Amino acid sequence: MDDDLEPSLADAVREHLAFCESCAKVCEDLAAIVDLCKTEPEAIVPPNSKALWCRINNIIESEVKPEPLPLPQESRRQIWRFSLPQLAAAVMCIALISSLLTVVALRNYSTPTDTDLVSRSADNQTLVERLMAKVGLVDTPQKARERRIAEQEAAIEYWTRRVQERRATWDARMRDAFDKNLNVINESVNDYTLILQQNPEDEITGEMLDSALDEKMDMLRKFAEL
Amino acid sequence: MQFSLVSVYGRSGHRKTTILLLMSVVFFMLFTIAANGQRRFSKSYPAGQSVRLELVNRSGTVTVEGWDRPEINITASLEAPAAVVQPQSLSGKIVINLVRDNAGRGDVGNVNFRIRVPYYTAVDIETLIGNLNITNIRSAMVRAHVSAEGDITLTNITAAGVSAENVTGDIFFDGTLQQGGYYRFTSMKGNINIRIPFTSSFKLVATAPSTRSINLGAFSGGTMKPLGDGRRIVGQFGDGSASMQVTNQRGAIQFIQR
Repeated sequence: MDDDLEPSLADAVREHLAFCESCAKVCEDLAAIVDLCKTEPEAIVPPNSKALWCRINNIIESEVKPEPLPLPQESRRQIWRFSLPQLAAAVMCIALISSLLTVVALRNYSTPTDTDLVSRSADNQTLVERLMAKVGLVDTPQKARERRIAEQEAAIEYWTRRVQERRATWDARMRDAFDKNLNVINESVNDYTLILQQNPEDEITGEMLDSALDEKMDMLRKFAEL
Repeated sequence: MQFSLVSVYGRSGHRKTTILLLMSVVFFMLFTIAANGQRRFSKSYPAGQSVRLELVNRSGTVTVEGWDRPEINITASLEAPAAVVQPQSLSGKIVINLVRDNAGRGDVGNVNFRIRVPYYTAVDIETLIGNLNITNIRSAMVRAHVSAEGDITLTNITAAGVSAENVTGDIFFDGTLQQGGYYRFTSMKGNINIRIPFTSSFKLVATAPSTRSINLGAFSGGTMKPLGDGRRIVGQFGDGSASMQVTNQRGAIQFIQR
């Protein structure tokens, strides 16, 4: 039909078509289609090719896409559906409550500024602190002090061991100075401990004990580095 | 006498005598140095606009003096057995740490420092044993810390942050307070004397729990009030722009008008 075949091969095809009816029929159909395409090309275009392609595309996509999840039930969605005024009112309420809480907390916490919780007595505890201490959320001043002293004593024990390891290498002058000054600190620590046993709420003595223990810790640490 | 020696021994005799005298002088000098076991160390560094001195000594006296020169001059006399002194200059910071440089050496003699620095130097010095003296400094910070015993003397100091702390020994501060400055003086056993101008303004927390000896002198006005049976005095003098904390566990506190 297109004259693409070699002459010998074309002769052989013609011979076959001459006695094969079915192939001759196919050949005739093909020749008719080719002839139509050449003479009337618009006749073979579908009436709405774009719509046809859209349909084909939809079919392809529907085969590729996973199945959509089942939609949530209508009743559940209705519970969380708020109108805009409702949402605005809710936000304002939350802001108001949190502001009030912040103001109350700040007023109670900011009053005492120059004393540490460790060394504070029950007299200058704020209302919030007392409430929290009763509930057990924070330590009372005495408990906080006891905890702090326990931490300091643990550190002092550690540094004392380190000093004992190093002390043999010091000269006599260094050993004398160390012992003399450690005694001075220990005297103060003992005095303050006795006072606190008699009056556990003595704020100044609590502070001084804390300071003396810090001083002892610092001295031990410095001498342990020798 | 000399004439007679010259006449007896002539020119050569005079020369021998001179040589003998010189030799004896050299011998005695060497003997003295060996007996004292002292060595000297001296080094200078140029200083920029921002200088900081950090010194950690083991034992001995440290004197730091501010001067009007862009130069840091360190001199030290080292008693036997001599310590290792290795100053480091790190971008405007001079660091001398004798504890670190002599770690593990139990027997180290006193090292007495005299360090001259530009007056605007931030000074941070500490020692285990020995006196600390700092004078003529006008900078952001002055810190003097004696871990065990030694006096601390700070004179002609103008700094926004001053800290002096020892266990046993006196503390003397003579200087001016700056607005918004923080001043802390702490001793376990000794006397603390503070000499400041009457125009100073500061908030004060002064505590002397054992002796209850807190003498504010001319600064007793304002809102000063005793607490805890006189163990502590708290208050404000002037507009209270600076903060001062003075604690003497077993000694007295005294304020002196400059």
